[in-house]
Amino acid sequence: MICVNGNSTDKRIADKCSCGNAAVIFLHYTNRALCEKHFIEMFDRRVGRIVREFSMLKKGDRVVVGVSGGKDSCVLLHSLVELNMPVELIAVTIDEGIKGYREKTLKTAKKECEKLGIEHKIYSFKDAAGKTMDQIIKEKKEIPCSYCGVIRRYMLNKAAKDLGANKLAIGHNLDDIGQTLLMNIMRNEPLRIGRGSVDNNEFVKRIRPLMKTPEKEVAIYAMLKKIELDRKDCPYAHFAFRSHVRKLLNETEEKYPGTKFKVANSYFEMEKTIGKNCTGKIEKCNECGQPCSENICMFCKMKNDLLV
Amino acid sequence: MELVIDNKKKKLKFSGTLGELLRKLGVMREEVVLRVNGKIAPETYKIKTKDKIEIIKVVFGG
Repeated sequence: MICVNGNSTDKRIADKCSCGNAAVIFLHYTNRALCEKHFIEMFDRRVGRIVREFSMLKKGDRVVVGVSGGKDSCVLLHSLVELNMPVELIAVTIDEGIKGYREKTLKTAKKECEKLGIEHKIYSFKDAAGKTMDQIIKEKKEIPCSYCGVIRRYMLNKAAKDLGANKLAIGHNLDDIGQTLLMNIMRNEPLRIGRGSVDNNEFVKRIRPLMKTPEKEVAIYAMLKKIELDRKDCPYAHFAFRSHVRKLLNETEEKYPGTKFKVANSYFEMEKTIGKNCTGKIEKCNECGQPCSENICMFCKMKNDLLV
Repeated sequence: MELVIDNKKKKLKFSGTLGELLRKLGVMREEVVLRVNGKIAPETYKIKTKDKIEIIKVVFGG
């Protein structure tokens, strides 16, 4: 698909949309330039198509939307509202307690929910796990992201259950999916790929409407919709293996446009195949009653460890 | 042209597209959004002498 100045197919002058207006983006994976209006239309159409294709939502669903206040989750909330489906949306923010980082995004989450008229609930690590992330980092020498990830996932699932939701929407974008696949392969943990597709009543069904939208497009959409962007790395992000994989994937995408879509499509194929073989029994945690694969869930193990 | 990158301003002489400018500066296009004279623009935009270019980092770890 070519969409450039006049009839030229030269990418270097492809700074106009086919409608003649100035482009806001050039999609390297399709050789296509789009103006603001056509980019937003394409973006919303794609989210709607993914929601339908993967049967993510149906009439009457009560959906908890994980809204950290970052661009992905705020755009997710806007997109779900834009879909105008007969579903109920409730935004949930998990406050990890990271000073100088989370306060601003909490404000953004609040502001966006108010703007869209969505009910907003905030849950804190301190209340659930007894400690803030900053306190955990001071005490534990292990990689903080593993604590943060386990506690956040647990709290989101529990919040969704407590609020009577049957769906949990999260803002994972195309880049996140690609990074997750590469990380699982590099760590030799392929079975983790299938976990999301296992249906179990104890876990609120997670949906990822932005999973086929590149992160850069999410950012442009956010800017065009005047959503405030967080301009800071999590102070603990340098610990994360993900940062390394992100750079690798971005470098490859620049040289070989379309790579992220191919990696993500591989993820979805593997998720289906591996998910079928994930037949492990889901137990109830002896301490909190939440679903887990052993007698005590990872969250309670971590919480007990933190209280020592 | 005037360039704003990481909130720092500088004057620069450059002839080419925004994409070529990013390559020269060693900035990954996947991690930034570009603004020309206050409006979002694609990497394919040809820079003009009096343009004000902003390179905004949008991909963060967290």
